[in-house]
Amino acid sequence: MDTIIGADELSTRQVISDPYSAYRQLRAQSPFNYVDFPAGKIPGIETPLRAWALMKYGDVYGALRDHETFSSAGNPLVGKAFPPLVLILDDPPRHTRFRRLVNKAFTLRRIEALTPWISGVANELLDEAGRGETDIVRHYTIPLPIKVIARLMGIPGEDYETFKRWSDAFLSLVTMDNTERMRNIQEALEYFGKMAVARRAHGAEDLITALVEAEIEGEKLEEWEILGFCLLLLIAGNETTTNLIGNILNVLAARPELWQMLRENRGLVETVIEETLRFESPVQRLSRTATRDVEVSGVKIPKGDLVTVFFGSANRDPNEFPNPDEFRLDRDLRNHVAFGMGIHYCLGAPLARAEAKITLNALLDRFSAIKLGGAGGTRQALSSVVFGFDLLPLIFQR
Amino acid sequence: MRLVINYKKCRRAAQCSYLHPELFKVGETGAPVVLVEQPGGELRDAAEEAIELCPNGAISFEEEK
Repeated sequence: MDTIIGADELSTRQVISDPYSAYRQLRAQSPFNYVDFPAGKIPGIETPLRAWALMKYGDVYGALRDHETFSSAGNPLVGKAFPPLVLILDDPPRHTRFRRLVNKAFTLRRIEALTPWISGVANELLDEAGRGETDIVRHYTIPLPIKVIARLMGIPGEDYETFKRWSDAFLSLVTMDNTERMRNIQEALEYFGKMAVARRAHGAEDLITALVEAEIEGEKLEEWEILGFCLLLLIAGNETTTNLIGNILNVLAARPELWQMLRENRGLVETVIEETLRFESPVQRLSRTATRDVEVSGVKIPKGDLVTVFFGSANRDPNEFPNPDEFRLDRDLRNHVAFGMGIHYCLGAPLARAEAKITLNALLDRFSAIKLGGAGGTRQALSSVVFGFDLLPLIFQR
Repeated sequence: MRLVINYKKCRRAAQCSYLHPELFKVGETGAPVVLVEQPGGELRDAAEEAIELCPNGAISFEEEK
């Protein structure tokens, strides 16, 4: 039996670590208004921040495709809880110019060229992970994506624990002391500032150099744009992939027959990745702001109100995915919204897919079976935005 | 050579219609539609860029049959 969950409990630790029973109960009533962010956590937010929850697939899809009505700019937490960020908290025309610039660093061809190197890092981490029961989060799913994004950005990947701390702080909006959070974010911005200075003096083949040298319509990028983009890349480039890979391995550890199928038919690896993206979406929700009065599924949402799109819920909507709580390989998975849809479609999707595929192939090469370790996994409960594991003990059999 | 979208690969990331509206538009179903099937000159370069930037590898030039 699901515990009964009220609309205003959507940002509690309980729902963060297990959002799906909340979606099952609340989806049919959506859109509804709820407390998205409690008062008193962040200076300047003295009353609870309310938002409209979109949980049905059709509503989520509609909002993602109508970026003029559902703006990514104007989030009330900008300047209070996070610095202004390009792309994810921005609209056209700046979003368009920036996207055109950075898409070039994440093309399928560029990612393909990186595959042998990523594969090398993956295998090195697996060699070091040791025998017996292994917490795959600590030994693999955290370091891999950070090392990869660090290499793309041109920063040293050894200090991945510091990057992880900054990134966790950024995401722990409701759960961490705000002074502590902002101190971490400031530290990250200062670090990227130093990196940008170094690249202006001596360029290299990396993303930070590309950013400091880039000109859009004859003008250099502003400092906040460069640093904000670095921060965004670091966070988006690691937490999400950490969670995706952890979620995939958890699904597989519970389904030994599926592991055997994959060993025999590697052609199914991509399907398993896509179905996991749908089934346990690493990014559960993001915010928009209504730029006009708008009606969604018969509910009037007034201009200026915050709207939360629940990707995780849309991906389990039975009207779009029959028997949504079953993990199946025979679905049409082109429609899942785990990477969003439309102009804000995840910049790093090709990279996330590549890291997941490389990981699965490396593990399938090495091991005849995987199973869950004795204590079982622990879901993260710090950030309502993401869904994944803090701890995932696995036992690999040769 | 004809500019085509492989709808089996398209996941409606909309980067083509967004970044190259001179070549693609969003169709009624939400999937993109090619506006200029045989782009020449500058449009040819734009098409090459759109092919490169599609995150799902769904756009290509197809040989005329």
